Amino acid sequence: MLRIVICGVGALGSTCVQYLRNVKAELRLVDFDRVESKNLAAQWFVKQSLGKNKAEAARLQLANFYGAKAEAMGVRLVPNNAAQLLADCALAVDCFDNADSRLALSDAARTANVPLVHAALAADGTFGLVRWDERFTPDREDSEGQATCEGGEHLPMIGVLGAVLARTIQDFVAGAARHDYLVSLSAVTRTT
Amino acid sequence: MATLNITYQGQSADYELAIDFATTDADIRRIAVEIVRSGGARGLHLPNLPANAFAAFVVDRLAGPAGEQRIYLRPKVPFGASCCGS
Repeated sequence: MLRIVICGVGALGSTCVQYLRNVKAELRLVDFDRVESKNLAAQWFVKQSLGKNKAEAARLQLANFYGAKAEAMGVRLVPNNAAQLLADCALAVDCFDNADSRLALSDAARTANVPLVHAALAADGTFGLVRWDERFTPDREDSEGQATCEGGEHLPMIGVLGAVLARTIQDFVAGAARHDYLVSLSAVTRTT
Repeated sequence: MATLNITYQGQSADYELAIDFATTDADIRRIAVEIVRSGGARGLHLPNLPANAFAAFVVDRLAGPAGEQRIYLRPKVPFGASCCGS
């Protein structure tokens, strides 16, 4: 069975993971961060996960709620460990929230020849995209530390984008398809 | 001939554009303001759209599913939607 590494298990990553619980693949979850109370408004975490590492919390929720197995790596992806985190993976998924991490992941995936798909969201929660690495350039924040989903007001868009990303992953697993999508409040548009 | 797709405030619309695919980003942004002001893109009609509305937007030039030329004018997407660094 092929292995998929999900890089970043915050709002987008955790939302996508719940829709991957029946995918025909093994999941590896990577995130260094811990679940805080404010995350409950916009991320797929429950109160019992507070304080836990996000990768481990998502692993436990998949196991406890659905009996689905995953592997948790509670570390920050950096150039020094990227090759190890991508080892034996047939697909990498970028749900990071900053351009530097996205670039580090792109470099590692290209070096290891691992297909990589990115998902990203606009700051105002009105727009997102799913795009394969060969057509993706990360956008930087307008200002460092720019707030995105404080309060969870963008949760519906996060849900739609996470679902589109999960479908993109399903299509890749089923037949190596590499579709890109634009996701706006009015439509989901396939662009390749 | 290219298709220009404009995404603004959560709405997304296509406009058939008779310009060179390599038109500069600045010109794309300027043209897009005029299109949206005039109502040329279905579902995106804002007569009072500020001239700098797309100043921070990104211009992507991609081939569509059937190989057609498509230009996307869209907001930046810097986030994986995390509130606190994932």
